[in-house]
Amino acid sequence: MNPILTVIVMLVAIYGLISSTNIIKSVFSATMLESGLILLFLNLGTLNGGIIPIFEGVSIAIVDPIPQALMITTIVIGSTVTSLALIISIKVFHNNGSIEWKDIIS
Amino acid sequence: MNGLIPVIFMFLPIFVALIIYLVKRPFIHILVFPLQVILAVLYVLFVIDLQRFPEQNLIVFGGWDPSIAITFYIDATNLIFIGLTIFFWFIIYYYSFKSNYLEKKFFFFLTFLEGVFLAALMSNDLFNLFVYVELIALIVTLLITYKKVENALKAGVQYLLLSSVAAMFYLIGVLFLYYVFGTLNIQIIKEGMAEVIDYRIVKLAYGLMMTGFVLKGAFVPLYSWLPKAHGVAQSSISALLSGLIVKIALYLIIRIHHDMFGSPFGFNDVLLFLGFLSALVGVIFALSQKDIKQILAYHTISQVGLMLIGLSFGSGVSYIGGFFHILNHAIFKGLLFLIAGVIIKVYQTKKVNDIRGLFTVLPWTSLLLVIAMLSITGAPMLNGFVSKTMIKYAFNDNLILFTLFQLINIGTIVSFSKVALMLFGKPLAPVKVFHASLTQHIPMTLLAILSFIIGIFYQPIFQFLFSFAAYNTHVFDFLSIIDYVVYVSIGFNVYLFIIKKDFAPIKWLRQFYIQFPTVNYLMLVVLITFVLFTGVF
Repeated sequence: MNPILTVIVMLVAIYGLISSTNIIKSVFSATMLESGLILLFLNLGTLNGGIIPIFEGVSIAIVDPIPQALMITTIVIGSTVTSLALIISIKVFHNNGSIEWKDIIS
Repeated sequence: MNGLIPVIFMFLPIFVALIIYLVKRPFIHILVFPLQVILAVLYVLFVIDLQRFPEQNLIVFGGWDPSIAITFYIDATNLIFIGLTIFFWFIIYYYSFKSNYLEKKFFFFLTFLEGVFLAALMSNDLFNLFVYVELIALIVTLLITYKKVENALKAGVQYLLLSSVAAMFYLIGVLFLYYVFGTLNIQIIKEGMAEVIDYRIVKLAYGLMMTGFVLKGAFVPLYSWLPKAHGVAQSSISALLSGLIVKIALYLIIRIHHDMFGSPFGFNDVLLFLGFLSALVGVIFALSQKDIKQILAYHTISQVGLMLIGLSFGSGVSYIGGFFHILNHAIFKGLLFLIAGVIIKVYQTKKVNDIRGLFTVLPWTSLLLVIAMLSITGAPMLNGFVSKTMIKYAFNDNLILFTLFQLINIGTIVSFSKVALMLFGKPLAPVKVFHASLTQHIPMTLLAILSFIIGIFYQPIFQFLFSFAAYNTHVFDFLSIIDYVVYVSIGFNVYLFIIKKDFAPIKWLRQFYIQFPTVNYLMLVVLITFVLFTGVF
C-alpha cells in the first residue's frame, strides 16, 4: 500500500476533526486519524520478500518486528479511548438531548 | 536489589490500587498511607544510593540490548519531579481520605494514576511515554467525570478527545524519529541527534511533538479545555490536575526539547513568546471570571506560562527559577484549590460575589487562604516571590519584557482582590457551619507552612535540589516589599474602579469560549507555524 494513501486518510481525518460539529463525528475522526497513523507506521516497517523474525540463522532479510509490536499497543489504547469517549457521549446525550459541541458546552 | 527501586515506584501503587478495588472491606483505602511511607523511604534510599553508584540511573528491563529494550532513566530532573509527586499525592490522599471514604473506585483510580504518573516521569522510551501519557489522560477523564455531573461529563469528553489527538500528533513525530534512528531510546537518539538535526523529517517530527506538548500544557491558543476540566472536577482532583498533572507537558519539554533535541532551531525564543502569551491571556481571562474555581483554573494557565518563560532560557538563573516555580506552584495552587473545596462545601456556591464573611465563618481556613494568595501574587518572604524574582532575572534590563512581567503580576493581584473580598463583610445567606475535619486541615496547613519555609530558606533548598549556589543571586531586598505594596494598591484600585463595574468587554470575555472543532483547527495552525519556524522549506 502506498504511504501517500495513508497520508490522505490522515488528512481526511484532520478535516473531520476541524469541521465536525458533533461529538460522535469527532470521535470517529480521531479513530480515523489513528488508523491512518497505524497504516503509515506499518508501511514503513514492511519489507517485500522479508520473513517473520522467529527463525534463527536464516540468510533472508527479516522484517523489523518493532513497528508491529508498537502498533498493537496503539490499537489497544485507541480502542479504549474510543469506547470511553462513546460511553461519555451517551451520558451527555441522556443529560442534554443533544451531542452538538455548540449545545453542550456553555 | 536497590537498582530496581524505580520499578517498585511504578508497580507498588498499581498493586495497592488493585487491592483497594478487590478487597471488599470498608476503609481498605487506608492502605494508601503505608504505600506513601514506603515510597518515601525508598525514594530517600534511592537518592542516597544513586550518589554512590551513579550507573544505577539506567534500568534496562529483561537484559536486552538498550536500543530495543524498555528502559527507565533517572537524573536530577526526574528525581525532583518524583519527590514532588510522592509528596503531592500524600497531600491529596490525606485531604480526600474522609470526604471520599465511601468511594472505593475513586481511590482505585487515584492510586493507579500515581503509578502511571511515576512511570511516565521515569520512562526513557519515546513510545512508552506516549502510552503513559494516554493512560494519564484516560484515568484523569474518569476522575473528572467521577460524580457524573452534567458539566463534568462535557468537560471530560472534550479533554479526552483533545488529549488523544495531541498524543496522536506526538506519536506521528515518534514514528518519524524511529524511521531515522531505528531506536526509541531517548539517550541513544540524543547522541546521534546533532548529525541528523537538519533532515526535513526530523524537523517535521520536532514540530509535531511540540504541538502535542503545547496542547498538553494548555498554552495559548490551545488552552480552552483546561478551565472546563479543572473547574468542574472535585476540588481535590482539581488540585492534583493543576498542581501536578498539567506539568507533565513542562517535563516533556525539558526532556525532549532541551535534552533530546538540544534546544534546536532557535525555538527557545518561540517558547518565550508562547510563555508570555499564555501568562497574559490567562490573567486577562481570570479577571473576567466570577466562579472561584474558574478563576483558579485560568490562573493555572497564566502560571504555567510563567514557568515556560523561565524554562525557555535553557540554563542559568531564569531556567532554574522556572523549574523552581513548578514546585512552588504545586504548593500554592494545590492549597488554593483545597481551600476552595472547603469554602464551596460550606457556602454551597461557587460564585465569588455570593461568598462573604469568611473570616468569621472559617477563621483558620481564611488564614491559610491569605497565605496562599500572598504566595501566588508574589509577596516577599513567600515561595512564589522567590521563583518569580528568579524568572525575571534574565530580562531585568529588557524594558518591554520586564514591563509585561510586572503587568502579569499586577493582573494576578487584581483578580485575587476579587477572591480577597470574600474574607470581609457578613454572609449574604445563612450558612450551615461545617467544620472541615482534621484530615482536611492538616494537609492544607502543611502546604501553607511549606510555602513559608521555602520562601525564607530558599538558599539551602536550592543548594540541595539544583546544586546551584543562589548566594550570588540577589533575590530578596527591602525594596521588593515597597514594590509589592505599591503593586497591591494599584491592583486593588484597578479592581474597584474597572473590573467591579463589569463593563461589556468583561462580560464578553466571560462568555468567550473556543469550541472543540476550532481547537483542532488552531492545533493545525500551531503545527504549521512550528514547522515553518524550523525551516523545513
